[in-house]
Amino acid sequence: MSENHSHKDIEQQVSEQQKEQEVQKSPSGLRIFWREILKDKLALISLIFFVLVSMIVFGISLILDLDEVVKIDPFAIHQPPSDEFLLGTDKGGRDVFGQLIIGTRNSLAIGFLVTLISGAFGIIFGVVSGYFGGHIDNFLMRIVDFFMVLPFIMIIIVFVTIVPRYSVWTFSLIMSAFIWMGIARLIRSKALQERELDYAQASRTLGSSHTSIIFKQVLPNITSLVVVTMTLNLAANIGIESGLSFLGFGLPEDTPSLGTLMSYATNPTTLEERWWIWAPAAALILVLMLAVRNVGEALKRAADARQRRA
Amino acid sequence: MTLLKVEDLKVHFPIRGGILNRKIDAIRAVDGVNFEIEPGETYGLVGESGSGKTTTGKAVMGLNNITNGEIYFGDELLNKGNKVNIRKDIQMIFQDPYSSLNPRKRVIDIIAEPLRNYENLSKDEEKKRVKDLLEKVGLTAESMLKYPHEFSGGQRQRIGVARAIALEPKLIIMDEPVSALDVSVQAQVLNFMQDLQKELNLTYLFISHDLSVVKHMCDRIGIMYNGRYVEEGTTKEIFNDPQHIYTKRLVAAIPDIDPKNRKENTNFREQVKEEYTNSYYDYFDEDGLAYQLKPITDTHRVALPERG
Amino acid sequence: MWKFIVRRLLITSPQIIFLSLLVFVLASFMPGDALTGAIGPDVKAERLAELREELGFNDPWYIQYKDWVAGILQGSLGESFQYKMDVEDLIWQRVINTFWLSLVSVIFIYAIGLPLGILSGRYNDTLLDQLITGYTYIGFATPIFIFGLVALWIFGYILGWFPTGGSVDPGVESGSIEYILSKLQHLLLPGLSIALIGTVSTVQYLRSEIIDTKQKDFILTARAKGASERRVYNRHIFRNSILPIAAFFGYEIINLINGTIFIEQIFSYPGMGQLFLDSIVIRDYTVVTALVLLTGIGAIVGALLSDIILSLVDPRIRIK
Repeated sequence: MSENHSHKDIEQQVSEQQKEQEVQKSPSGLRIFWREILKDKLALISLIFFVLVSMIVFGISLILDLDEVVKIDPFAIHQPPSDEFLLGTDKGGRDVFGQLIIGTRNSLAIGFLVTLISGAFGIIFGVVSGYFGGHIDNFLMRIVDFFMVLPFIMIIIVFVTIVPRYSVWTFSLIMSAFIWMGIARLIRSKALQERELDYAQASRTLGSSHTSIIFKQVLPNITSLVVVTMTLNLAANIGIESGLSFLGFGLPEDTPSLGTLMSYATNPTTLEERWWIWAPAAALILVLMLAVRNVGEALKRAADARQRRA
Repeated sequence: MTLLKVEDLKVHFPIRGGILNRKIDAIRAVDGVNFEIEPGETYGLVGESGSGKTTTGKAVMGLNNITNGEIYFGDELLNKGNKVNIRKDIQMIFQDPYSSLNPRKRVIDIIAEPLRNYENLSKDEEKKRVKDLLEKVGLTAESMLKYPHEFSGGQRQRIGVARAIALEPKLIIMDEPVSALDVSVQAQVLNFMQDLQKELNLTYLFISHDLSVVKHMCDRIGIMYNGRYVEEGTTKEIFNDPQHIYTKRLVAAIPDIDPKNRKENTNFREQVKEEYTNSYYDYFDEDGLAYQLKPITDTHRVALPERG
Repeated sequence: MWKFIVRRLLITSPQIIFLSLLVFVLASFMPGDALTGAIGPDVKAERLAELREELGFNDPWYIQYKDWVAGILQGSLGESFQYKMDVEDLIWQRVINTFWLSLVSVIFIYAIGLPLGILSGRYNDTLLDQLITGYTYIGFATPIFIFGLVALWIFGYILGWFPTGGSVDPGVESGSIEYILSKLQHLLLPGLSIALIGTVSTVQYLRSEIIDTKQKDFILTARAKGASERRVYNRHIFRNSILPIAAFFGYEIINLINGTIFIEQIFSYPGMGQLFLDSIVIRDYTVVTALVLLTGIGAIVGALLSDIILSLVDPRIRIK
């Protein structure tokens, strides 16, 4: 009876404690990140801009009829901006504005997808390498070195041309396969530091397996580095994807990206006289990349500051 | 029956070099160490930094690869950390209470980690066990949901103790458990550990460089120098009748609070220092390593060269 | 010292072997083989099979790989079916063009990067520094193809200051002064485009390095000794900061290669990058394979050189 009673007491205390905990500062990191962004005007504006653009683009593309946008209309080729076509039409008579919306959506989505795939792989690779150290680390880092010196743009292009059943997914996988090394290196050097700390050794003595220590003990301690790096990578990956699409080896043709619109500018007449086709896409890529970078840099400052305090 | 028996333990770390990064030499961190610990006692392992005492502790714990030798726990031979049920019986308390607790984990997750690894408890059972453990080490149940950074050094070390006793181990290895704490807190934590030892019938392997702490805590003491034992005996034997010149110097260096004895102490230390310099080669071989241990009494062993 | 170099060389050879294996595997997945384009459509299927057997296309992969490597070592990269000429001859012209473009870019990279980095490091937190930092911040986020395209649009088409394509004006006699000037004129805008984006990391590195060095004790000592501000910068700070930058050149090669692919495409500059893209489009796979292999080796050797130079400059690396 009394046992039951005290148990309830604890639970009550615990829940009160939990509330208090939420009011107090928690070292979860995300809160500190959020506070830093609120303080940094440029980062805040960038974040709002980015969220707004994403919402608009994903919102409109829900109502937009994709078939209508990519349908070739031989009677409306290369029209200048008008009420019907806000940004004119391209060489196939397709509405440029519609393509811009869908292109932005695709570029953002692929950017996220590639960042996630390459990030997940790079993090696991790096944390395993750093945690185990020694020969394993040595071997894994030689692999990273090898991938680092590959002319990756060329190799991605070759892969893209020879892969059977080419799709958005295969493209994302190919691109991820050649850009995971940076994050792997960063995470590895952080994991090397973490494994020297007693808490990792303590977990060993308490009977936790290596896998459990890596994922439950070490990884939570490097989340801020992961968040910062992934954000900066997102900006870079949007650039790489649009660059490859610009060359014609990015997203498949039925999935236009911002780079696809840019590639129309390889036609000198389009470049010189029909700026409305490619310039908005160029500006969007630039501004989106800058916005994401601003957020990333603010997060980085927050993470650095916390490291100093700790 | 002996609880822990270490036979000819060697832990060498390779030095790599040359073009192919091959092993060219080794650091002999622990180089042939033998000792036994009886159940219920506190065994002190003393030495300066680099003497191999921590490496010995970690080797027993299974955190270092053993180059040579055997470690028996009861009747069972411990190999490279594969005997799960025995590992459960040996736990460790770390030197630095700041880095030994994961800063991202709440206290309940830290203390429950061993329980989650070895016992299948429901959430409520787990909470109750953690609460009991916290109370045993003198912390309140409210601490459960806090993060380590909200505690002082002494409190953190208590959390470390709670985690170590969660699995009801027989042997606890304490690696300089109080040297990172304020002197005022040290005594408090040490006394609490002694109480805990009686209450839970624990055996301690106490690693320290601080002789006054060791004198206070330990029943028997082993002195290490450069990876080898120089002397082993009961606390009384070591402090009242040190045989090896290295032990003599260590004991002479213990500070005395009484200012009246200051002059006397200084003279005594000078004297020991002189003896140390003069007779260094009588006690250490040409590599500066200690000789084999020779028994003087049943409990007292000293590393002295073969005479004559 | 020499130990480090030898060890570094030992790492290089497996890198080149893996690169060649990767390229070989890629090549084997490319549709068609050397005969597909080389033989007229009237050749019978049986004859084709015979030829394949003769040329070793049915051998196990490791024998094919061995033959392929042996061929490369003898200087034969195969034959382009599009241009009906040896790949090495075809690539040679383009390599020279790309070499000039890269050279001009590198000169610009350092001509822009060194002064900007030094200025912003020396006068850090002034308006000038903020301007330069702002430039590097934006430059870091700007993809090279957008920058190149906009540069071509503004300076090539709207203002008409630079030619909009090619590597030399048509009809200019090769070897004359005019020819060289025309070549240079064609190199300026693409070279500047690569450099203005590519120099950003140099500026950032130099800036933080100088700010770092400024606060080191040996600089304070030099000042305390009474050395003039000019001497402090010239003799102590720059020498410490610039040497590593010179060594990074080898790592830059990989960025230059990636950059030239975009820039050559935008400026229709007949270099390796453009040849690569053209060959991919027309499926001239012997050329593609050769180009990937060569640029890959170039990048590996570049990194090797950088590491060796760095180890000469910075003794800390040698110990590793």
